[in-house]
Amino acid sequence: MAMTAIETGFDLTLTEEQELARKTAHDFAAEKVLPRAAEIDEQAKIPRELIAEMGALGFMGAYVPEQYGGAGLDVLSYTLIVEEINRACASTGVALCSHVSLAVDPILHHGSDEQKARYLPALASGERIGCFALSEPASGSDAAAMRTGATRQGDSWILNGTKNFITNGSIADVAIVFAQTDPTERHKGIAAFIVETKTPGFSVGKLEKKLGIRGSDTAQLVFQDCRVPAANLLGEVGEGLRIALSTLDGGRISIAAQAVGIARACLEDSLAYAKQREAFGKRIADFQAIQWMLADMATEIDAARLLTWRAAAAKDAGEDHILAAAEAKLFASDVAVRAARDCVQIFGGYGYLKDFPAERHYRDAKITEIYEGTSEIMKLVIAEEILKE
Amino acid sequence: MKILIPLKQVPDSTVRVSVAADGKSIKTEGVTWSISPYDEYAIEMALERKDADASTVVAVVTVGPARSRDALRQALAMGCDEASLVVAEETAAPLAVARALAKVVEEAKPDLVLCGKQASDDDQGFIGPALAEVLGWAHVATITKIVPADGAAELWREVEGGHEVWKAKLPALATVHKSEKEPRYPSLPGIMKAKKKEIPERAFASLNVDSSAPALEIVAMEPPPARGAGKILKDGDAKQTAQQLATLLRDEAKVL
Ligand SMILES: Cc1cc2nc3c(=O)[nH]c(=O)nc-3n(C[C@H](O)[C@H](O)[C@H](O)COP(=O)(O)OP(=O)(O)OC[C@H]3O[C@@H](n4cnc5c(N)ncnc54)[C@H](O)[C@@H]3O)c2cc1C
Repeated sequence: MAMTAIETGFDLTLTEEQELARKTAHDFAAEKVLPRAAEIDEQAKIPRELIAEMGALGFMGAYVPEQYGGAGLDVLSYTLIVEEINRACASTGVALCSHVSLAVDPILHHGSDEQKARYLPALASGERIGCFALSEPASGSDAAAMRTGATRQGDSWILNGTKNFITNGSIADVAIVFAQTDPTERHKGIAAFIVETKTPGFSVGKLEKKLGIRGSDTAQLVFQDCRVPAANLLGEVGEGLRIALSTLDGGRISIAAQAVGIARACLEDSLAYAKQREAFGKRIADFQAIQWMLADMATEIDAARLLTWRAAAAKDAGEDHILAAAEAKLFASDVAVRAARDCVQIFGGYGYLKDFPAERHYRDAKITEIYEGTSEIMKLVIAEEILKE
Repeated sequence: MKILIPLKQVPDSTVRVSVAADGKSIKTEGVTWSISPYDEYAIEMALERKDADASTVVAVVTVGPARSRDALRQALAMGCDEASLVVAEETAAPLAVARALAKVVEEAKPDLVLCGKQASDDDQGFIGPALAEVLGWAHVATITKIVPADGAAELWREVEGGHEVWKAKLPALATVHKSEKEPRYPSLPGIMKAKKKEIPERAFASLNVDSSAPALEIVAMEPPPARGAGKILKDGDAKQTAQQLATLLRDEAKVL
């Protein structure tokens, strides 16, 4: 089993560019995102200029080649950026993850030269925002059961149906939409389309009200005789499900990085609080019970990050990363949920108040165990990989 | 216009420095290093000139240990055009550093040298004026803005209640207090462009600078005394609290 993409020895040192990318993201997150995180959660809205700033810094096209207007870094650098942004704000973080991993990535990997030239530059610069529309009201984990249909009419495809839970759905300019061209064929009939959201017949339905990542918009998308040019078919008819699943393999690396970012927020906030809060005449950091929670958090975060980096390195090396990505997401999301629970506990009663960040981490962490494949689905994927010959 | 910025790599402002075992220096293990903040303002000021006039060339140089290369790479990633490193693993006397920089300036022939008004590690504010002195150039301190003016530059300084505008014939040297905008972050495309640039380096000794200088020695370094716990006045109404406060400020804090 290929366990690492690093061929020459075991070296986890970041390159100069990776380190600089991390530093830029860290400074930007600490100075521009973190101070607004509570407001983004409260108002359930990410300021558009924040996304524009991420675009100007190159985050929205981090690993898109320069030829298509991207920054031309690697997936590992992108993973570092995702961790830093999510350390500050998981809502802003998932807007970035969905755009890059779920909308830009499939065009980059499955698009024709013409599609890449047409769509990537504006997406990579953040001028246009992307979303990924796979889930439906009646199909989530079982994506192949989708009901949204596409029928060919001359030089166009006509889309009808409803997509559910779509991150960036109401702010996107471009949507990657999956639809069934022939229900009798089940997954062999699924196709992927690049749909411009200004297309007649496309509309945004209700916006979901959520437990966490409240700043990220989660929208229902409605297609009513939405006419998409045949040139916007991504890949071939019948390749749609494969495109969706391989896109999610990459997306899971970014969700693992998001979980590491949220867990790190829990640890850093817990450390700061435990060092200054006193009880029984001591800092609570001096109680072993608190120290054990902090030690577990630190250890698990490091382990989760290493799994995430390994998956990113495998994707960079062009290696199969289905297993590595699923393991990273399964483990890191669990770490984030546990770290958030302990963070609230360390803050005591203040952990339960909106005035402190702990309760936001607690609400934000949970989603990482659900989207882009639930933890149960991650185990299915992992088991399938390790059981196959 | 060509602008040269001598910069210094210092411990990042978020690092909690501690005194090393010798009692005369700080511990460098595990320290995150950054460009000194006033040098970042100088870079931003120069890059704002470059934004306004694309023919502007912005170069950076540092005299310091090999790790300072990271600071130069960051400056390139912010948008500077050129960088060079003078490697000095041992800390050189400040005047010798100014002389080494003067050699670099004489080779690079910039129209304007911008220095941060002081480095955030030792806060001496020595290099800028000393470099101007070695070069025999005009020097304007703590500027906030540059306006080019035909063979000269208007250099703006903030003063009590307004600002002063000085005019210096080029070449000149100014120390920077603040740029108009906050220093920009290195963008990812900037990082990739910087990756392709060479950063030539040479040894401090190869510059053959006169190292005779008034000797300075750090005798001891101590962290500031730990701050005692604060006192919260909570008994009594507002008037009584104010009275207690006034008494404490007079008798204990002795500030009244
Ligand atoms: C905030 C948010 C953002 C989202 N963003 C997007 C997006 O941008 N694009 C998009 O397409 N979708 C998005 N989703 C949808 C998300 O991916 C799905 O909710 C998720 O895949 C689970 O599907 P479901 O909700 O239909 O749950 P179900 O599939 O109905 O699952 C319900 C439960 O059954 C379990 N289960 C299901 N099948 C099995 C099985 N075979 N074995 C064991 N257990 C099983 C699940 O693990 C879960 O515990 C988002 C969801 C949320 C909440």
